[in-house]
Amino acid sequence: MKQALASRLRSISIGAVLLLMLGLLAYVALRTGPLAPVPVSVIMIEKRSISPALFGIGTVEAQFTHRIGPVAAGRVQTVLVQPGESVKAGQLLGEMDPVDMEQRIAALEASRKRAEANLLAVQAQMLEANVRTQFAQSQAQRYEQLLAARSISAETAEAKRQELQIAQAALAAVRANQDASRQDLLRAGADIAALTQQRANLRLVSPVNGIVTRRNADRGTTVVAGQAVVEVVEPSRLWIHVRFDQQRAHGLRAPLPAQVMLRSLGNTPVAGQVLRVEPHADAVTEEVLAKVVFAQQPQVPPPIGELAAVTVKLGALATGPVVPNASIHRVDGRLGVWLVDAGDLRFAPVRTGASDLEGNVQILDGLAGGEELVVYSFKALTIGSRIKLVDQIIGKKP
Amino acid sequence: MISLAGRDIAHAWSKFVFTGIGLGLLIGVTLTMAGVYRGMVDDAKALLDNSGADLWVVQQDTQGPYAESSSLPDDNYRAILGMAGVARAANVTYLTMQVSPLGDGQAREVRTMVVGVTPDGAGHPGQPSYLVDGRHLTRGHYEAVADIATGFKVGQRIRIRRNDYTVVGLTRRMVSSGGDPMVFIPIKDAQQAQFLKDNDAIVRQRERTAQNPALNRPGVPGLLDAVIASQSSNTSVNAVLVQIEAGTDPEAVAEPIRRWKRLSVYTRTQMHMILVDKLIATAARQIAMFLVILAVVSAAIVAFIIYTLTLGKIREIAVLKLIGTRNRTIASMIMQQAIALGLIGFVVGKVSATFWAPIFPKYVLLESGDAVRGFVTVVIICVLASILAIRAALNVDPAEAIGG
Amino acid sequence: MDKRDNNPSPDRGIRIEGLRKVYGHGDTAVEALKDVNMVVAPGEVVGLIGPSGSGKSTLLKCLGAVIEPTSGRMVLGQDVIYDNHWNISDLRVLRRDKIGFVFQAPYLIPFLDVTDNVALLPMLAGVANAEARKRALELLTALDVQHRAKAMPSQLSGGEQQRVSIARGLINRPPVILADEPTAPLDSERALAVIRILNQMARQYDTAIIVVTHDEKIIPTFKRIYHIRDGVTHDEVGEGRGID
Repeated sequence: MKQALASRLRSISIGAVLLLMLGLLAYVALRTGPLAPVPVSVIMIEKRSISPALFGIGTVEAQFTHRIGPVAAGRVQTVLVQPGESVKAGQLLGEMDPVDMEQRIAALEASRKRAEANLLAVQAQMLEANVRTQFAQSQAQRYEQLLAARSISAETAEAKRQELQIAQAALAAVRANQDASRQDLLRAGADIAALTQQRANLRLVSPVNGIVTRRNADRGTTVVAGQAVVEVVEPSRLWIHVRFDQQRAHGLRAPLPAQVMLRSLGNTPVAGQVLRVEPHADAVTEEVLAKVVFAQQPQVPPPIGELAAVTVKLGALATGPVVPNASIHRVDGRLGVWLVDAGDLRFAPVRTGASDLEGNVQILDGLAGGEELVVYSFKALTIGSRIKLVDQIIGKKP
Repeated sequence: MISLAGRDIAHAWSKFVFTGIGLGLLIGVTLTMAGVYRGMVDDAKALLDNSGADLWVVQQDTQGPYAESSSLPDDNYRAILGMAGVARAANVTYLTMQVSPLGDGQAREVRTMVVGVTPDGAGHPGQPSYLVDGRHLTRGHYEAVADIATGFKVGQRIRIRRNDYTVVGLTRRMVSSGGDPMVFIPIKDAQQAQFLKDNDAIVRQRERTAQNPALNRPGVPGLLDAVIASQSSNTSVNAVLVQIEAGTDPEAVAEPIRRWKRLSVYTRTQMHMILVDKLIATAARQIAMFLVILAVVSAAIVAFIIYTLTLGKIREIAVLKLIGTRNRTIASMIMQQAIALGLIGFVVGKVSATFWAPIFPKYVLLESGDAVRGFVTVVIICVLASILAIRAALNVDPAEAIGG
Repeated sequence: MDKRDNNPSPDRGIRIEGLRKVYGHGDTAVEALKDVNMVVAPGEVVGLIGPSGSGKSTLLKCLGAVIEPTSGRMVLGQDVIYDNHWNISDLRVLRRDKIGFVFQAPYLIPFLDVTDNVALLPMLAGVANAEARKRALELLTALDVQHRAKAMPSQLSGGEQQRVSIARGLINRPPVILADEPTAPLDSERALAVIRILNQMARQYDTAIIVVTHDEKIIPTFKRIYHIRDGVTHDEVGEGRGID
């Protein structure tokens, strides 16, 4: 009857609710919490060859920076260029204040003129001494002849000989004087040349064709020796000073190709080459330093000091088993990977070799290739974890 | 003999089930609160487990790097590597800061703990112990591995302080003791991030230095630049994480470091005590107190509901007594119903707690031990409440059934 | 007053002598029953009439072994159940096996169906479920409600519920049935039907039935009526109409 049906329906629905509750409880107990299996994702280990690469951050620098300034303390008189201007080799960039140098040169000029005049005077003396000597000579000869003819006394002849000697000595003295005067003249000339050279030093001249990058002082500023007033670089000679972590710089050497990414070039990579690895590394930051040049000069030179990301490609290595670095774990002090062996979890210790920048690691020892490798897991795995193979651990990617 | 309890339940089963669901939700809330507490403690434990370290070397006389700030020069690790029993040692920095994803206009910045690690690859101290996507850090700069709780995806670009990083890998359960998700970046970038401020601050700092006559001497060209350069670099780290050789005693390795290097060293147990007893103690106690109150209130409500359900049956109980039903039979009917209610409540509570626990922003750990304890407590409370109700029922005067 | 002795059969019938019940003590003592004497023969249906406060309920409660009288004598068949003190150790068993109750309201257990409501009593006494249900069904048939055997009490009409309640009172074949205002909520036709059934059952099973009532509709049906006032009873002959 209807009542029987209703009560049967009621029993069924009560039973259904009870079953649902027990089912949910069982699901909760087995699928979540400690009894649940850990979802893992696996791949098959391939054998291939990887190309390790090195990555470093560098700054764009000029190969040579010419810091042009005075060699002595002084005041800047003029600066003729602004940063960004092109200059030619030999072009005047500015001048220091010569202070009293002009006057000193004038004084030296006067000195030289005086030395010249002195020389002339001495030369005239020389003439006189010459004449006297000649006269004394001829007199001495005459009186020798007279002595031979016994016309005069020996004393008189002696006196004439003595006059000759005196005249000759006087000539020698004048000659020496003349030498001295000549040297004086030379010295004055040299003094002038020196001071003129120093005067030239006060002119700041560009040593190369290039661009002015800095203007450190303006007219009237006092600068000391060694301080640069203007800095000039050659834009065609830029390089990148790159720092590589020492631990990840194995294999860095000179003519390796490099890719350079500069923000000013829009993050498209530019080809380059390692020019040299610096003999001195940085002991404090533990980095190896290197210089990388552009394969082709960029049309617009990047600003000096801009950050560059440099990737140096090393050669491809021999084919061998390669695993992603996410699959490597350390268990009980040993490095290794988790393998799925006929549904069970197994830890295989490995010896790793080089790795590339995409995270692929070469395995030297411990794997043969073709095994099922656990790459990602939902929880940390231990021996005896129950696992469940899934495609992706964290659901669909956007 | 028929089962009076069963018949009663079957007759008003929807009311019974709904009452059970209501109780269940209350029990679920209590279980969840216990889960929140356990999650807090587990966060602290996860922090220690996931750092992959056996020893923490920090600035002397500090309890860093998590409970207190600690700063040591970054070349200490070389000396530590040389000590007996040390297998691996690595510098590490920690800094809590806001990280914003780039490019996605709607994404908000996330509060994270930025961890600076040496990108030596898997298995080294400080590295996340397992990934759920992507790869470990390979480059020395501008890469990051983030925890999925940040909401970042592999390939996304994020900004930390002054630089942009590309997320290359994702981890799970890598959280600070406060529950903030972690982002791992190369240590040199982290040192800079910890130290260098924004551009305005840097420019003002340079100006301040330039105005100092002792540092800006005209007679010594290059001095100002050298001083500014030294101000802009940071060679400090927060701690050195050490992994010891297999089979050695952590305390035996720690003691020489303490004595000779004048640093503080903590083993894992000591670190755990620092974290749990000092760092999260106040927050944990707060939650524990609330949990106790909640449990007491839940117990009271369960008891009240059972008592009220029983009192609603006073008339039937009086009739049963009058027509000669044994006291024992009546008592067993009430107790069976109370226990059935408790069972339904517990199942509903445990299932609902399991389903809504993952939605919480911080980790909620529902332990089986707690579930078992909760189950036993619910049954005991139901039994006690039903005893009170039974006493009330049995004191009913059957003469009530016979009207005045 | 008159003590009629209608030759009660040896193990059925009820006899009350000098029953007295005092509530409270000292200054606040209330004498609800002063001197109650009643004799009911097996198969007899007597009425018990009195105004409220006369002690009707108290008398029923004493008879039903629900409260203890102060003094007097109650005899059920051959058993002296009360002689200034209870003579029976387990009153509950007495109520279950020897006394049947029919209340003003049916007081059916709402979560048991009609059959189980009636069969509950024998089940409590240890009778097997199937046997108990069989007996219940027999009684329900006799009372003409067998067609509602599987229904829940809430689905029955008032009269049907009352009949089920009567069946429950009768199922253990108690020698005594105490009916408290069984017809109060019913209309005259139904009330008379209930009285008719009671008389039928009394004759069929030799049960002594006391009906407490002040329903004018059924008072004429009683052959004998006890009046109670101020705790004292006296009987009179009733009209005995309309129940054959």
